[in-house]
Amino acid sequence: MTPRALVIGLGQPAAGDDGVGIAVIVRLRAEGVLEGVAYETAAEASALVERLQTGVPVIIVDALVGGGKPGDVVVLDTERLAGDLRPLSTHGISVAQAIVLARALAPAAVSPMIRVVGIVIATAEVGDAALSPLIADAVPQACAKVYELIREVMH
Amino acid sequence: MSDGDESGGKPISKKTRTIRVDTLARVEGEGALRIELVGGRAERVELRLFEPPRFFEAFLRGRSRTEVPDITARICGICPVAYQMSSCHALEAAAGVVVDGPLRELRRLLYCGEWIESHALHVFMLHLPDFLGYPDALAMAKDHGDLVRAGLRVKKAGNSVVSALGGREIHPINVKVGGFYRAPERAELDALAAELEWAARAMRDMLPAFTALEYPALERDYELVALRHPSEYPFCEGRIVSSKGLDIDVREYPEHFVEQQVPYSTALHSRIRGRGGYFVGPLARFNLNADRLSSPARDAAAALGLEPPVLNPFKSLPARVVEIVEALHEALRVIAAYRRPTVSAVELPVVAGIGHSCTEAPRGILYHRYAIDAAGLVEDARIIPPTSQNQGTIEDDLRAIAPDLARMPLDAATHRAEQAVRNYDPCISCSTHFLRLEIVER
Repeated sequence: MTPRALVIGLGQPAAGDDGVGIAVIVRLRAEGVLEGVAYETAAEASALVERLQTGVPVIIVDALVGGGKPGDVVVLDTERLAGDLRPLSTHGISVAQAIVLARALAPAAVSPMIRVVGIVIATAEVGDAALSPLIADAVPQACAKVYELIREVMH
Repeated sequence: MSDGDESGGKPISKKTRTIRVDTLARVEGEGALRIELVGGRAERVELRLFEPPRFFEAFLRGRSRTEVPDITARICGICPVAYQMSSCHALEAAAGVVVDGPLRELRRLLYCGEWIESHALHVFMLHLPDFLGYPDALAMAKDHGDLVRAGLRVKKAGNSVVSALGGREIHPINVKVGGFYRAPERAELDALAAELEWAARAMRDMLPAFTALEYPALERDYELVALRHPSEYPFCEGRIVSSKGLDIDVREYPEHFVEQQVPYSTALHSRIRGRGGYFVGPLARFNLNADRLSSPARDAAAALGLEPPVLNPFKSLPARVVEIVEALHEALRVIAAYRRPTVSAVELPVVAGIGHSCTEAPRGILYHRYAIDAAGLVEDARIIPPTSQNQGTIEDDLRAIAPDLARMPLDAATHRAEQAVRNYDPCISCSTHFLRLEIVER
């Protein structure tokens, strides 16, 4: 069945709080996949360039440095992203850069609506396999934001 | 600020200029770079890579050897396979076991996947913009969209191999000491072939884009170091050789390679005992193993004008292109010949021992050494990443181009310094924590 919305979690679970996007997807799946919604994960943002080439709305979930205090959950409107947000994790391009690149490479194919749910973290620690308690506590709030956006984009 | 020189080719300023790269963009992680120029000479060059001081080596002590591949894979998000392969080979050596046959071939296939994804990311997204005159891949994509699209699809082909064999793209979970938790069915690997074949054709078709590139003039008398295998382009096995006559078993690594502390970084500088710095990575591998390349890779090298000796570090870019071609060819060869093994891993005896290994990570030789006790627990671990081994050489390159930097406007000088560091595709996450860069001129 063709999904009507796509939720993509980004991050490296082996880099502590950088893996919060993945943790959100894990929880969303555990709570029950919503009809018409597909959930995916990716290690880093360059994978988004292809995945954003879809006709359905996309919600990206990722760790964010700045934009609030650690533990805050924010929703970013990608139309206002400058394309120069530096990547948090270590390899390749940022989410904003991936979105700008996807639009440059395939303007007609890229999703008409892209939203980013950002969970503000302090730093990512290579080698940490678990989220810090503060960020783990933010996962349910991030899931709630995702559900809110799903309702918004599917109506 | 500078003394007002604003055009290239001008006399070298007698004043002091300091170039500190504010953010070393487009390398994995971030780095700290500071160059002090006085009268056109580099008085001080500091590439500050803040390594988690022996974090992982300490963390591994007391752990079961069976945990090591998963733990070390977390050192690097883009080269986890390299850490898993080096750790497995070293632990198997400690137990006196050699993994051969189809399992050995599967390891080569897995490594091919990692080389493809790592090299493609670096070539098309991080380094090629430098050579085409763009500030970044986003700007490059506006004029060269087909190139960027194709490069990303080549990268994805590599990711698919790692996912299929590793069990997961993000962090391979299927690798274990002795082999794999599960060996794939032939059909699972056959499903990868079409996209790998597309990638091989795409790389051939993109070669003209690389033949027209101009490379800054820099050649130094490097000692190039790589593995050399009796018959193959090296991944996991071989002797350690150099362009200046070194030819040793991997067990002899500690006798010939030493690490020295420098005051401005927690990353250690590697030296060949009694000689000096050295150079690992694709350019070293190419120079020392060009005769081991497959026919398509040799053709690519010829098309790119690469013939050993190649001593311009900026030509690491075409060397990576050749290695993408080689890895695609090798991956397809392994898949075509694959027969699923009856067991997915070789059993290791639980014995005390010391084991060494070097495998060729995308960025160069990655050395691991483990001392295992009679219960199979890690007594001691040593891990030396390729970026650490290249750090002193990177700084020496910056010293060598300092006179050119002194003549250039600050923006151009900064870009050239960054481009020179990117020659090594430094995986700074392997040898650093969180780094800052700033560029200042005074």
